[in-house]
Amino acid sequence: MKKVVMYTLSTCPWCMRAKKFFREHDIPFEYTDYDKADDETKRAIKEDCLEHGSEMSFPFVKIGDEVVVGYNPEKYAKLLEL
Amino acid sequence: MEKYPFFCDLTGVYMNREKRWIFAIKEDEMADGDKKPLLLEGEKVLLLRKDGDFFAISNKCPHMECPLSKGTLEGHVIKCPCHDWRFDIRSGEFLDAKEIKVPFYETSIMEGSVFVNVEGAGK
Amino acid sequence: MNTEKRKGQLKKMFSKVVDPLGYKFSSDEELVDFLLEQEVNIEKEKGSPFCPCQGLTGEREHDMKLVCPCIPFHREHYDAMKRCWCGLYVHKNVEDPDNLMQISLQEFLESKNRK
Repeated sequence: MKKVVMYTLSTCPWCMRAKKFFREHDIPFEYTDYDKADDETKRAIKEDCLEHGSEMSFPFVKIGDEVVVGYNPEKYAKLLEL
Repeated sequence: MEKYPFFCDLTGVYMNREKRWIFAIKEDEMADGDKKPLLLEGEKVLLLRKDGDFFAISNKCPHMECPLSKGTLEGHVIKCPCHDWRFDIRSGEFLDAKEIKVPFYETSIMEGSVFVNVEGAGK
Repeated sequence: MNTEKRKGQLKKMFSKVVDPLGYKFSSDEELVDFLLEQEVNIEKEKGSPFCPCQGLTGEREHDMKLVCPCIPFHREHYDAMKRCWCGLYVHKNVEDPDNLMQISLQEFLESKNRK
């Protein structure tokens, strides 16, 4: 199973929907709320996001080595071969 | 900018019915680059002087109604103090989306006094 | 200020801003209500109603482009999606906002360059 890691915002409904998607499909995932993180974590997330050209748009979802920016259940399912 | 706002001819009489020139300030009370918030006929108007010309726009930013008088003027561009929205004082146009405008008013100078056409917002 | 009252004020002010840009509030009322509530809370905490779905960096030039409605600063990208990033606004001709997907900026730029 590919590892799922997400950067999210506590205020973003699409981040909530992404989390719900993985829960409903029994996919374990880790997440960090960017807006609630400490400064060092924020810096690291920012670097990671900008490296992938996301301009700080959330949710930022890593599935294995792939990155999906935005709530896109079809892409999540495809990458996870659901 | 019209030189004689009260000049009347056949066209002018008609035009003047749609204009309401209100005295704003004496010309020599504002230096180049100055901004002056005024209340004219109940409207919050910002009068600006740039390169010898007078410009009048609404003092309320169309975004969240912040007072543009507290913003910064660079060239003919005023930047709102709240969220940095920038407007051309010659047309009222928002630089990042020309469809959005801050209402602007005609100005006129007569015998050292500056007048604003308060009926002319947005023209 | 009372949250409900401020939500109403923001909605009124922002309607006037997005209308000439060809956008309207989404017809998904639950989503709109939730997003406006987040914006009011963000405004209380940070001073401005920033987008609830985009991250602030602390750099003024970057962050000011995320104050709602942020459409003017992301026009081409949002026009391609027919919605803004958080989905608060959609193009005026959109009747079913559920059909609109978030397209990442990178994907949008790649598809634009292919054309």
